[in-house]
Amino acid sequence: MGRRLRLAGILVITGLLVEALCLVWSKPIAFVVLVCIGGALIGLGVLFFLYSLVSGASHTADTSKAALDK
Amino acid sequence: MPTFAIVILVLFSAALAGVLVVRPAITVSRAGKILAFGVLFFLPLFSIVAGMENEMQRSESTAFCLSCHIMEPYGKSLHIDDPAYLAGAHYQNHRVPAEEACYTCHTDYAMFGTIEAKLGGLRHIYIYYLGKPPQPENIKLYKPFNNRECLHCHLGARSFEQGATHNADPATLPAIKANTLSCVSSGCHDTVHNVGRWGDKVKFWDGGS
Repeated sequence: MGRRLRLAGILVITGLLVEALCLVWSKPIAFVVLVCIGGALIGLGVLFFLYSLVSGASHTADTSKAALDK
Repeated sequence: MPTFAIVILVLFSAALAGVLVVRPAITVSRAGKILAFGVLFFLPLFSIVAGMENEMQRSESTAFCLSCHIMEPYGKSLHIDDPAYLAGAHYQNHRVPAEEACYTCHTDYAMFGTIEAKLGGLRHIYIYYLGKPPQPENIKLYKPFNNRECLHCHLGARSFEQGATHNADPATLPAIKANTLSCVSSGCHDTVHNVGRWGDKVKFWDGGS
C-alpha cells in the first residue's frame, strides 16, 4: 500500500503544483493546461489513492481469512 | 474565492501530500487514514474545482480577452474618443461593466450562452496556438449579432423606446425587437470596433483601466 500511496501522493503534488502555476499565469492557455494536465494528474492521483485503499482492504481481508482458516 | 486564497490552499494541500509521500507509515493509524483521505482525496478535488471556477471567472474579464496579442486593436477600440464608436461608448460610459466588457456583449443571453461562449473560447485558443489565426481586421463574428444581446439592457429603457429615430417609422421598433432589423445594420449603430478602418483622425481617451 505504501508504494501506491507514494505514487498517488506524487501525482497529486505534481497536479497541484501545475494548478498553482496556472493560477498565477494569466494567459488563456493556462485554463487548458490546468484542466488537461493539472486535472489529469490530480484525477490519476486520487484514483491511485482509492485503488490503494481497495487493494489494501482486500489484502487485509485475505490475510484475516487465512488466519481464521488456520 | 480570491486567486491568492486558492493558491495558498493548493500549496498547503501539496505540502500535506508531501508529508504522506515522505512518511506513508503514518497512514497505519486511524488518524493517519483520515488525514490521507483528506489530503489525497478531498483537498485535491476541492482545489481543482476551485481552480477551475476561478479560471472560468477570469475568462470573463476584459483583461483576459485582451491578453491575446490578436485582440489588442479591439482593446484599443474601447478607448476611441468618439461616441459614434459603439463599443468604446459602452465601455467608457460603463453601460457595460468595464471589467467584463467583451463578455457582456459577446455572450448570448440564452440558456446555453455561457457554455457556448466558453466552447468558443477553447476554439479560439486552438486556432491561436495550433491553427492559422486571422489578422485582427479580418476577424468576423460566427453569426450575425443578435439584437437580444442589446435588448437585454436597452429593452424598456426610455432612450430606446422613445428614441426619435426608433419611432420615426412605426415599423422600426417592432422590427428591432423581432431581430429582423439589426441594431448594428448599416445606417444605424454600424460603427462598433471598426478595426483596420480608423484612419488618422481617430483620437483615444486615456482614462479607464
